[in-house]
Amino acid sequence: MTRLFAAELLKLRTIRAMWGYALAVMLFAGLVAGGHIGSPPNDDRFAPNYQFDLVLSGAFPSVILALLLGMLLFTNEFRHGTISRTLLITPRRPILVALKLMVGAAAGLGLAVLAIATTAVVAVIGLAIVNVPLELGDAADALWRGLLAAALIGALGAAVGGVVQSQVGALVGTLVWLFVAEPLVWVLLGVVHLDGVADYLPAATVLSILDTNGENLSFAGTVGMAAVWLAVASALAVLRTSRRDIT
Amino acid sequence: MIEVESLSKTFGSTLAVDDLTFSVRPGTVTGFLGPNGAGKSTTMRAILGLVRPTSGTATVLGRRYSELDDPARRVGTLLETFDAHPGRSGRNHLRVLALAAGIPRSRVDEVLGLVDLREAGKRRVKGYSLGMRQRLGLAAALLGDPEVLVLDEPANGLDPQGMRWLREFLRSLAGEGRTILISSHVLAEVAQTVDEVVIIHRGKLIRQAAMGDVEAMAAGSTTVRSPGADRLAGLLAEAGIEALQSGGDRLTVGAPPERVGEIAAAQGIVLHELSVERASLEEIFLELTGEPGERGT
Repeated sequence: MTRLFAAELLKLRTIRAMWGYALAVMLFAGLVAGGHIGSPPNDDRFAPNYQFDLVLSGAFPSVILALLLGMLLFTNEFRHGTISRTLLITPRRPILVALKLMVGAAAGLGLAVLAIATTAVVAVIGLAIVNVPLELGDAADALWRGLLAAALIGALGAAVGGVVQSQVGALVGTLVWLFVAEPLVWVLLGVVHLDGVADYLPAATVLSILDTNGENLSFAGTVGMAAVWLAVASALAVLRTSRRDIT
Repeated sequence: MIEVESLSKTFGSTLAVDDLTFSVRPGTVTGFLGPNGAGKSTTMRAILGLVRPTSGTATVLGRRYSELDDPARRVGTLLETFDAHPGRSGRNHLRVLALAAGIPRSRVDEVLGLVDLREAGKRRVKGYSLGMRQRLGLAAALLGDPEVLVLDEPANGLDPQGMRWLREFLRSLAGEGRTILISSHVLAEVAQTVDEVVIIHRGKLIRQAAMGDVEAMAAGSTTVRSPGADRLAGLLAEAGIEALQSGGDRLTVGAPPERVGEIAAAQGIVLHELSVERASLEEIFLELTGEPGERGT
């Protein structure tokens, strides 16, 4: 399993697109952090949770890109026909799915580290310019939340890729779920006075890990629920992958 | 050893492989032949665990492919569809495979040299020609120095020099006792390489035979032209050999040319032509697979 994992990471390192992801996440994290420091009135920069929010907002681009990269881990195999060779090396398909989830989590972690490191550099310089002292306790709390969210979402992306398998289908389906289906379900739940249930929906749950203002679910509950969605998506990915003929 | 036992596979309402049974012995190169769409690739993918059989079994080295320990080291494969990421270099493609299969990195350069891709290995695969892609596929198949090789149309895209190299290389591997199955839709292409053939059509087994037997099927009648055709026909009839006279001096004889020549020489009959009317391997193949073909000289 270790050598398979190392080979999957080598796959990522040996295509140029991966370096594009790394640059993109650093660019977006820098822009978000810069905007966060530069735009609010001076008093807001001393507000409780300001630096906590700053780190999490810097980590946010890495979470989005981790989802995308996680999906590509699987869908690229089908798009380029490399799935045959991958399955010849790892013929036990549930193991392949587990491997992709692990690589998705690792890739998410890597992107989050880059995003948070970029945010930290921008924050140290930017906060010094506006004379705001660093609150390392806040930042440390946000740091591991950001890492956890990116790892979970990277793995979830891989699982979604394993279920859908078509690259366009996975990307479009995820966008439709995020921006159309889940908001619609929120509305419908509100109509039948079940607003609280909306917190348990997949996107709400996963993104709540980065949300400091969650009202219903506790942080542990949010992480637990995200893990449940990950388990559901993984089980579906195993089922779909195991049944598919590679022709 | 590869064993296929009562293998069937349907895709929706299409029966791709129909109750197919054959085996491939160690130390032999076996040609897996059939026209396009005969079910060769589906069968090979079933052997490799990529396609789930509807019924029947396919085993390699006595086990299903997915149950083998270190399958990538024990079974080398080349599939008809190219399976390298276009954005990765050939060398990196092989490095990934070697790392995953636990094969030393030094082997990557060895196989790149073997298929004459050492220099091109640094380039991204999307710039490769068809022949280079095929050679990279062969390098991937040979990476683990496997005891079994399953190669789907390995000669596709190779130039004559490459085909000659492949033929000699596969013969040498078989000589080492390895089990080799290669598919083709052109019998003549593999005739010089294979010891046995498995011919399928519409998913069904038509024949599993030694290549020598197939070649014997291609040997046909003998054509003779002689000013003494009438006399020769009589002598052949006396010897119990069927001869059909046409065009005055021409005979079509159901015996090898050596026998016909001996009878004519014994009686001092002048011959102007003595030739074998032989069906080409492709004609035999078309005949076996039920496709329309015309026997010629």
